[in-house]
Amino acid sequence: MLASAATSASAVASQGADAPDRAANDHADTAPKDAPVDAHDDKTKDTATERASFEMAAYQDNDAVTVLTPSLALGIDNQSGATLSATYLVDVVSAASADIVSTASPRWTEVRQAGSLYGEYKPRDFGVGVGASISREPDYLSYGAFATVRKDFSQKNWSLFFGYGFSHDTAGRCGADGQCTPFSVFSRNLLRASFNGGFDLVVDRVSLLTLTGDVIVENGDQSKPYRYVPMFTPAAAARVFKGMSADAVNANTIAVDGNLPAGARSDSKPLEQLPLTRHRFALTAKYARRMGDATLRAMERLYDDTWGLMGSSTDVRVIFDLGKRFALWPHARFHVQRQVNFWKLAYVIPNDTSLNFPEYRTGDRELGPLWTAGGGFGVKWYIGRAADPERFSLQLTADAMYTSFLNDLYLTSRIAGIGALGVEGSF
Amino acid sequence: MASTRRTLLGFAAVVACATLTSGCVHVAPYERAKLAHPMMTSESLEGPAASHVLAVQEGATGGGSLAESGCGCN
Repeated sequence: MLASAATSASAVASQGADAPDRAANDHADTAPKDAPVDAHDDKTKDTATERASFEMAAYQDNDAVTVLTPSLALGIDNQSGATLSATYLVDVVSAASADIVSTASPRWTEVRQAGSLYGEYKPRDFGVGVGASISREPDYLSYGAFATVRKDFSQKNWSLFFGYGFSHDTAGRCGADGQCTPFSVFSRNLLRASFNGGFDLVVDRVSLLTLTGDVIVENGDQSKPYRYVPMFTPAAAARVFKGMSADAVNANTIAVDGNLPAGARSDSKPLEQLPLTRHRFALTAKYARRMGDATLRAMERLYDDTWGLMGSSTDVRVIFDLGKRFALWPHARFHVQRQVNFWKLAYVIPNDTSLNFPEYRTGDRELGPLWTAGGGFGVKWYIGRAADPERFSLQLTADAMYTSFLNDLYLTSRIAGIGALGVEGSF
Repeated sequence: MASTRRTLLGFAAVVACATLTSGCVHVAPYERAKLAHPMMTSESLEGPAASHVLAVQEGATGGGSLAESGCGCN
């Protein structure tokens, strides 16, 4: 149909002033309007865009933890509204942190692999998406699936979205020699159901706002099978102070192997025990505003859960366009949280022969009171052709973080840095 | 106490929605040139590694993707 119309127009244009008047469709080169279109004459372009990106990241902190993370992401988008994307990453972790040293364990190295697959179809103003993810370590397996729906309103001035995700985690245990106990012999299972919903809003010609609410329900034992929590008598607990070294803690716990008071047991460092259910709630606002040749992006998240942990996270970037080829941004982040309601600097048992351990006990610093201040920068170099420079890009980011642990054994602070170099392209 | 905190969180969400949407204007598609800038998005500029570090080191969660599976970290 399109080919015949174009041919008719050119036929009319080629007729001179003396040519008899004839209908354009009488021209010999004009195909009948009901003639089939030859597939070889189809000039429509491929409407799919393929995307690929690769990133290499490195993390290091002063608690002797190092992580290298190569990651790959692929995607394909079609103008009809279909999208398919896949990600894969590897974490190579080497750790000899204070928690490991306190149990006289050697440095360990572990490899974690994770992947996800996501497909979405949104032809007009309504879309649905489904996806799945998996994460595997020698002593941990997590897999899950999720679904999302999205509806645009008022010419996409605002949109509603909802999502549901389910995951199943299995935690096992490996020895210092790298040999792991089969899950069939020992494992702990955690079921997680996640609900999120919210809206995107065009505030004005230069501003966008996204508001998201998350509710996460966790059921199962997520206590770490490697984390032992020292117990103290009331008298010993009075001598404990934050940042106390592993040697001093071991000297003050009610029993140290080979040095037991009469009548004391040797298992006075019981394993961590966390509550078996946790309900988590978060409210997140993201704001983006275009200001001349710069973009402000800010995020604020408020968090609360049934373990008593409350937190606030604030993240700000200002992205400056440096011509058509470069973007540069400073980055700042601040996070503060209070501890879970069963957090103690020193867990106390009545006496050195007591079996009356606290029901819930933990040494996980990320469940304690802390604040983290971080900052860094990022730069993006668009290396595509002049007609479309953003088609290919290189990105470099570097961030440093300082964490203050406000009521912990072994560590009172941590300094960490993470850098990443990535390349991205669309085809 | 905990339910009171959660009630306040929900109330804050409603107030935030009402306040932030009250000043909104309808923007026609042909007026969205600045909104189409590639940096004008709610997607994170952090790569997967940095996002994972934040998820592990901060006790809080939420506001991100449903896609990430758990790990035996920390």
